[in-house]
Amino acid sequence: MTAAAPSLRRDLVLAAWQVRYEQRAFWRNRARAFFAFLMPIMFLVIFASIFGKNTISTREGLPYNDFFVPGILAYGVIATTFFNIAISTAILRDAGVLKRMQGTPLPRWAYVAGRIGSASVTTLTMTVLTLAIGRVGYGVHLRGPTLAGFAIALVLGSACFTTLGIGIVRFIKNADAAPAVINVAILPLTFISGIWFTTDNQPAWLRHIAEIFPVHALADALQYAFNPRTAGPGINGTDVRTLAIWLVVGIFLMVRFLRQPLREE
Amino acid sequence: MNAIEVSDLGKRYGELEAVRGVSFTVGIGEVFCLLGPNGAGKTTTTEILEGYRKRSSGEVSVLGLDPATGARELRERVGIVLQACGVQNDLTVGELLEMYGRYHHHRRRTPAELIDLVELDAKRDTRAANLSGGQRRRLDLALALVGDPDLVFLDEPTTGFDPQARRHAWLTIRTLCELGKTIFLTTHFMDEAQTLADRVAVMRSGEIIALGRPDELGGRDGRPTEIRFELPSGRSLEELPEIPALERGSDDRGAVVIRTTEPVLATARITAWALDHDVTLERFSVTQPTLEDVYLELTGESEPGEGEPGESDQLETLAR
Repeated sequence: MTAAAPSLRRDLVLAAWQVRYEQRAFWRNRARAFFAFLMPIMFLVIFASIFGKNTISTREGLPYNDFFVPGILAYGVIATTFFNIAISTAILRDAGVLKRMQGTPLPRWAYVAGRIGSASVTTLTMTVLTLAIGRVGYGVHLRGPTLAGFAIALVLGSACFTTLGIGIVRFIKNADAAPAVINVAILPLTFISGIWFTTDNQPAWLRHIAEIFPVHALADALQYAFNPRTAGPGINGTDVRTLAIWLVVGIFLMVRFLRQPLREE
Repeated sequence: MNAIEVSDLGKRYGELEAVRGVSFTVGIGEVFCLLGPNGAGKTTTTEILEGYRKRSSGEVSVLGLDPATGARELRERVGIVLQACGVQNDLTVGELLEMYGRYHHHRRRTPAELIDLVELDAKRDTRAANLSGGQRRRLDLALALVGDPDLVFLDEPTTGFDPQARRHAWLTIRTLCELGKTIFLTTHFMDEAQTLADRVAVMRSGEIIALGRPDELGGRDGRPTEIRFELPSGRSLEELPEIPALERGSDDRGAVVIRTTEPVLATARITAWALDHDVTLERFSVTQPTLEDVYLELTGESEPGEGEPGESDQLETLAR
């Protein structure tokens, strides 16, 4: 009856399998896939089609789509990580699935890693699709020199909104309220964070508020990397710092949530 | 070695002592049943054994491991059927059994075997979301057996079942016994305990107040048998011969009630007298006290519905 020692390698394989099962479940749930994946793509097509001919006078005649596509990509990242994870985790918690998972030999970290991995696959798919549509449909400039800035923004932004997405579940009392809580947390921010239009004409105080939050930092970091006039590797230090700070907050909240739900005092 | 050993287990939530000084052992291959009203501490006790909750005091050993520390190895070897616990609804029965099976390192049962065991053959490719309530419970059971566990926890496994589904579930549980599994069952159905359990522990207010075989519980085997019949009009109780009875009287519908510890002799005397005197005894019956009678007496819930539903809710809230 001796138990073979569970090895890290084996647990990593389990986490990889979990990514597969989570992906399968994600795409099968049409409503969720629409909300977390298709809706940002839909916004991309609508806005880029309506405003595609415009240029932005406050930014030296930058074509609108060179500004909007990275902005909507930021929204897409938030949808596939934050929206997706927070809502589905709240549902899994309320349905008792998290409790069931705790009763299995699968280590909790491997389960969480599987869920995060799955969200990352979705985010990556979303990114590729957004860039492809932006390039082919709307002539957005994809730039080689700023690839580093783009990649850093994408990875840091995804990590930030993934951890925040798990962490916020603690504040969602029940799954029915999840979409409302998530939208209240994000939607107003998107309007003042330069996702749909520039913040250049916003009053300074509103800009300052927006700059505190990661929505603006992610959108701005991506827009910076996409701007054809950006010189150098396209890394915006201020945005990176803001995202890093929120990543720390996200990790803190995530760890608290992961420790909290099934432990009773 | 025993499958489960519990000694002087205690659990407090702040001021509330949910479990107080509980001790019992469960042998390997035994079906042990924890019986008690809501809020008696059944779920708390069970969840401590399962490793979901930490105990406040006492010693617990499950398959030789401490569930508070040896959780992972324990989970390789126990199967848990929780009350109303969801699954990943977008996956099919087959996929779920495959997925949960992967978590078990030592040994596992194949989805095909499990589907066969719980008779979900027709539902293999059905998503969990589209299963009926009874099918969901059968899936729960299959998922608990996926690691071919030595010990299975069943928390109120047939709550919400129709009578036919319950009989069916009992058969499945019996099958598990025949496979040599140890089963730890909680229920508030007397007949379930009676049918399935080798031994029953009755809990009330966090304590075990009786423990034994279902037919002996609370001195049930020594309790008087009740003989009941109606005498035709004109006949009176005094005409009856000498019978070994602890008590003789009548109920509110006028039937004679005799309580005796020697039911065979008493019945023989009464029927002989009736035949001799050509008296018809209407509605003649001999009944042993049921487990339910004993249980209601022990838990002080003699009036059904008098239990305090609020108490259990309060416990659940505190438990979060």
